[in-house]
Amino acid sequence: MNRKPILNVYHPKLTAGLWLVGMLVICILGSQALTKDWLETSFLALLPTSEQQPEIAKATRQHNQLLNRKIVWLAGASTSGEAISHAQKLKRQLEQSQLFNKVVLEFSQQQYIQQYQQLFPYRYQLLDAQSQEMLVKNPEDLIKQNLEILNSPIGQMQAADLERDPSLLFSRYFGSQNPIKLNLEQGIVVLSDQHRFWALLLTDLQDERLQLDKLETLSSLVDSATGQVKAAGGELLASGMPLFTAHGAESAKQEVSTVGIGSSLGIIVLLWVTFRSVRPLLLSSLAIGSGLLAALVICVLFFGKIHILTLVFGASLIGVADDYAQHFLCDSFGEKDWNPRKGLKFILPGLSLGLLSNLLSYAGLGFSPFPGLQEVALFSAMGLLVAWLTVVLLFPLLLAGFTFDHQPGILKLTTYWEQHWPLWVSKNRRWLGLMSTAFIASGLWMLTPQDDVRLLQSPPAELIRTADKIRSLFPMSPDNQFFLVSGKDQIDWHQNEQRLIKRLEALKQQKALAAYEGLSDYWPDADRQQQNYRLLKHKLYDSGLLERYMTDLSFDETAVKTELKQFAAAERNTLALSEWLATADETKRHLWLGCDSGRCQSTVALIGISDAGALTALQDLPGVIWVDQVESLSSLFARYRIRASSLLLVAFCLASLGLGFKFGWRNGVTIMSVPVAALAVSLAMLGWFDQLFSLFNLFALLLVLGIGVDYGLFFFMAGDRRASTSLGVTLSALTTLLAFGLLAASSTEIVHAFGFTVTAGIVTALLCAPLIGLKEYKNK
Amino acid sequence: MLIKALLLYCLAFGQGVAGDAVLSEISAIAPGIALPPASLQSAGRLAKTPITQGDFHQQKHLKVLRKPLISTGSFTYHQSNGVIWKTLTPVVSLLLVNESKLLTGQGEQAVPAAFGKVFKAMLGGDLAALSDGFVITGTDQKTSWQLALIPKDEMLKKIISTMVLSGDTELRDLEIREAGGNVTRITFDNITHPERLSDEQEADFERLSP
Repeated sequence: MNRKPILNVYHPKLTAGLWLVGMLVICILGSQALTKDWLETSFLALLPTSEQQPEIAKATRQHNQLLNRKIVWLAGASTSGEAISHAQKLKRQLEQSQLFNKVVLEFSQQQYIQQYQQLFPYRYQLLDAQSQEMLVKNPEDLIKQNLEILNSPIGQMQAADLERDPSLLFSRYFGSQNPIKLNLEQGIVVLSDQHRFWALLLTDLQDERLQLDKLETLSSLVDSATGQVKAAGGELLASGMPLFTAHGAESAKQEVSTVGIGSSLGIIVLLWVTFRSVRPLLLSSLAIGSGLLAALVICVLFFGKIHILTLVFGASLIGVADDYAQHFLCDSFGEKDWNPRKGLKFILPGLSLGLLSNLLSYAGLGFSPFPGLQEVALFSAMGLLVAWLTVVLLFPLLLAGFTFDHQPGILKLTTYWEQHWPLWVSKNRRWLGLMSTAFIASGLWMLTPQDDVRLLQSPPAELIRTADKIRSLFPMSPDNQFFLVSGKDQIDWHQNEQRLIKRLEALKQQKALAAYEGLSDYWPDADRQQQNYRLLKHKLYDSGLLERYMTDLSFDETAVKTELKQFAAAERNTLALSEWLATADETKRHLWLGCDSGRCQSTVALIGISDAGALTALQDLPGVIWVDQVESLSSLFARYRIRASSLLLVAFCLASLGLGFKFGWRNGVTIMSVPVAALAVSLAMLGWFDQLFSLFNLFALLLVLGIGVDYGLFFFMAGDRRASTSLGVTLSALTTLLAFGLLAASSTEIVHAFGFTVTAGIVTALLCAPLIGLKEYKNK
Repeated sequence: MLIKALLLYCLAFGQGVAGDAVLSEISAIAPGIALPPASLQSAGRLAKTPITQGDFHQQKHLKVLRKPLISTGSFTYHQSNGVIWKTLTPVVSLLLVNESKLLTGQGEQAVPAAFGKVFKAMLGGDLAALSDGFVITGTDQKTSWQLALIPKDEMLKKIISTMVLSGDTELRDLEIREAGGNVTRITFDNITHPERLSDEQEADFERLSP
C-alpha cells in the first residue's frame, strides 16, 4: 500500500505484475487451505469463551458436550404397537445414515443389572434420603411401609429381591437413583399423552461439530423420516441442538446465495446500463472476485475455520468491494480526454482515505471478543484491501484506451440529482431541519437496547414447538443453567453439594423446578457411609426390629442369621467415588468434574426450571456457583454494546482528527457531518421501527461511519468532477444498498438488524453527501 | 389378574431390580392376550356392566417365606374411570389406577401404555381384546369355566409360567404362577354391580383425573 511510487512513478505493467504474483500466492495458499474442512456451522463457535473463568468454562463445556450431540426422537401413533413399529423403522433408517454413533431404541437392562450387582455389597452404607429420614424419626414406619409394599399388587417389583434384601432398603436406594420412571414395552420407552402413544429413540451424533454436508443430510433425514411416518398414519417429533444448528446453517447458506446472487445481478445490471461495455463488468467482477477469494483464503489460514455466518456478511461485501472499481470507472466520465493515469491520480487520494476509514471501522469489529465478529472484520478488511489493490494496481493497465462515446442515462440522472437536490434542500432547510431534528430526537427516544443472546439464533416456531412438546412428554433433558459446586476436598465438596441439594429439594416441593440431579445424592461420602451403617445398626439391627420383622414375615431362622451375619461383616465396607462412577451411566458421570490442585468440583443439573430467580438466590451458599450461559452471554452482550459505543466514538474521533489535519478543521467538520447524519438517522430508524438494538447494530454503525466518511470525502474532493463523483457514489451506494438490503431480509434477527442499520445509514449518507463540497466548487 | 397385570406392566427403570431371574422381569412386556378358541365361550358368561365391586382375598406364596402373605380388602372397577384397589389388612393402603395414571402410598407411579387395555379387558370380561399375547386353553362346564393363559412372549415366559382364571358369571379366582416358584392366589367375593359409584369411590377416582 505504498502510495508514493504509484503516484509519482506510473508503471502499469509493473504494478499489474505485482498484483498477479500476489494473486498467484493467494491461489496456491488457497488450494491448500480450502481442501480441508474449513466451514464452521456450530452456533456456539460464534460466542466468546475467554471471558469466563476457566473452571466455569470447563464445566460449561462438559455440560454442553452431551447436549450438543443429542437428538431425541418420538414416533407417535394411536396404539403403542404402531408407535413402536414406526420407531423400529426409523431406527433402521438412522443407522443406515451413518450420522450417529449411538442409536438407542431398546434400553438394555444389562447396565442396570450390572450396576445393581456392583453396588449390592455396599447396601448397608447406601441409603436414600427418605429411608434415612424414616430411620431417624421412626423405624417402625419403615417396617409398615415394607408390609404395604409386600402386599401391594405392584409391590412385587420392589420386593423382587426380598431374599437378599429383606429390609428392601437397597431396592429403595436403587429406585431413587432413577427418579423418573419410564414405561417400557418390548424394552422400548413408550410415553403417552391424551391422543397418542410415543416410542422414544435417543441418538448421539458422531461429531459435536458436523460439517455442512452432514448437517444437510441430517435435515433431509428428519424431513423424509417425518414424511414417511406421517404417510403411515403416525407422527414424528425430533429435537436437539444439532437440528437447531442444521437449521441455522441451512438458512445461512440460503442467505449467502441470496445476497451473493442478488448483489451480483444488481451490479451487472447497473454496470451494463451505465457503461454499455463488457470491460467494466469484467473488471468489476475481477476486483470483487479477487477480494473475496483473498479474504476467504486469508481468513481460513488465520482462523483455521470460518463460520457460515461470516460468509453471509462476507457476501454483502460484494457491494462494498465494488465501490473502488466503480469510482475509478465512473471517473472516466469526468473528463473529455480521460486516461487511466490521470484518473488514478485524481481518485487515488479519495480511494485511499476511503479504504483507510473502512479498515478503521473493521479494526473496531476485530477488537470485539466475539470470534464471529473477528472473522467478519478480517474477512471484510482483507476483501476490501485486495479489491482496492486490484483497482489501483491492475486497472491502470486494463483500462488503457478505455473511453466512452455515450452519455449514460444514469449519468444525466445523477447529474440532475447532484445539482438540484442540494438547491432544493437549501431552499427548504428550515422545515427540513426542524422535521429531521424532531424525527431523529423522537427515534432516539424510542430506542431500547436488547441484549438477549438467544437473538443470535432465530429458529422457526415449528422447531421450538416440537422441542417444547418433546420436553413435556419426556422431561429428562437438563436445562441450560446449572450449579457448579466445589470444595477443597471430597468431604468439603460433598457437604457443599448436600447443602445445595437440601435447598433444591425445598424448591422442588414449591415447584420452582421439576427435578435436579447431583452426585452426592447417590454417592454418600466415606463419613456418610459410616453414619448410614451406624444408623442401621442402631435402629434396625441392634434394636432387634429387623429380626422381629423377619420372623413375623416367617423368614427361615437361618435366613435371619445370615442377614445379621452379613450386616456385621459389612461394617468396614466403603464405596469410593471412582467405583460408584464406574457403575453410573454417562449422564451421571458427566456431572463429576474431578479433583485437581486442591479442589473438587461437580455440576448439579437442573430439569424443568420454572422460577430461575429462586435458584439464583442459592449461589450465596458456600462453594456454589450459578451458571447461566444465556444470562452471562446476554450480560456480556450488554457490556460489549457499551464498549462498542465507545469504540464507535474513538473511530469517529480518529476519523475527524485525520480529516481535520488533512483538510483543516472546518472542512473536517463538513465531511464528518455526512457520517454524523447517517449515524443519527440509522439509530432513529431503529427506534421508529422498533428494531433490535444490540451490540451488532453498533458494529453496523461502525460500517456506516466508514461509508459515510467515504461518500463525504468523495464529494468534498470532487471539485469540478461532481457529476462523475455523483455517479460513482450513487452506483456504489446502490450496490451496497442491494447487499445490505438483502441482509435486512434475513430471518436471523441479528443479520436482519445489521442489514437494516447499514441500509438506513447508507441511504442517509447518499442523501447528505451531495450537500457537501458545493460551496468549495462554486467558490472556485 | 389385576395384580399381575399391574405387576407386569408397571415396569419402571431400576425399580425392583434383583437376582437374575427377577431382573429379566424388568424387560418383560405383556402383549395382550389371545382370543380364546371357539370352544371357550366362557367369556360370554361374564357379566358386562360398567361398575363391578367386591372384596378380595389375596395370598402370596413367596418361596423365601414359610407362611403366605395374606391381605384382604375391596376393589372397584369402573369402565371409564379405572380401578380402586383398597387393601385393608394387614396394613391399610390404597392403589388407584387408570389408563394414564397410577397412584400408590408412595405417590404417582408410571403406567405402561398397554396396561389399561389388558386390565379393562380382563375385569370387564372382554376376552376379545386379550388377543395376541397368550396361548389360552380351558375347560368349560355348565356352571363354571376355567382358562389357563400361557404367555407367548419368551421374555414374559421367564417370569410367568401360567395365569389361571376361573369363574361363573363372575370372575371368582385368579392364580398367577411365576417361573421362579412364587404363587399368588386371589379370590373375589361379594361381587355386585351397582348402578352408580358411592361418594367415597367418586372421590377416589377424582384423585386420578388429571
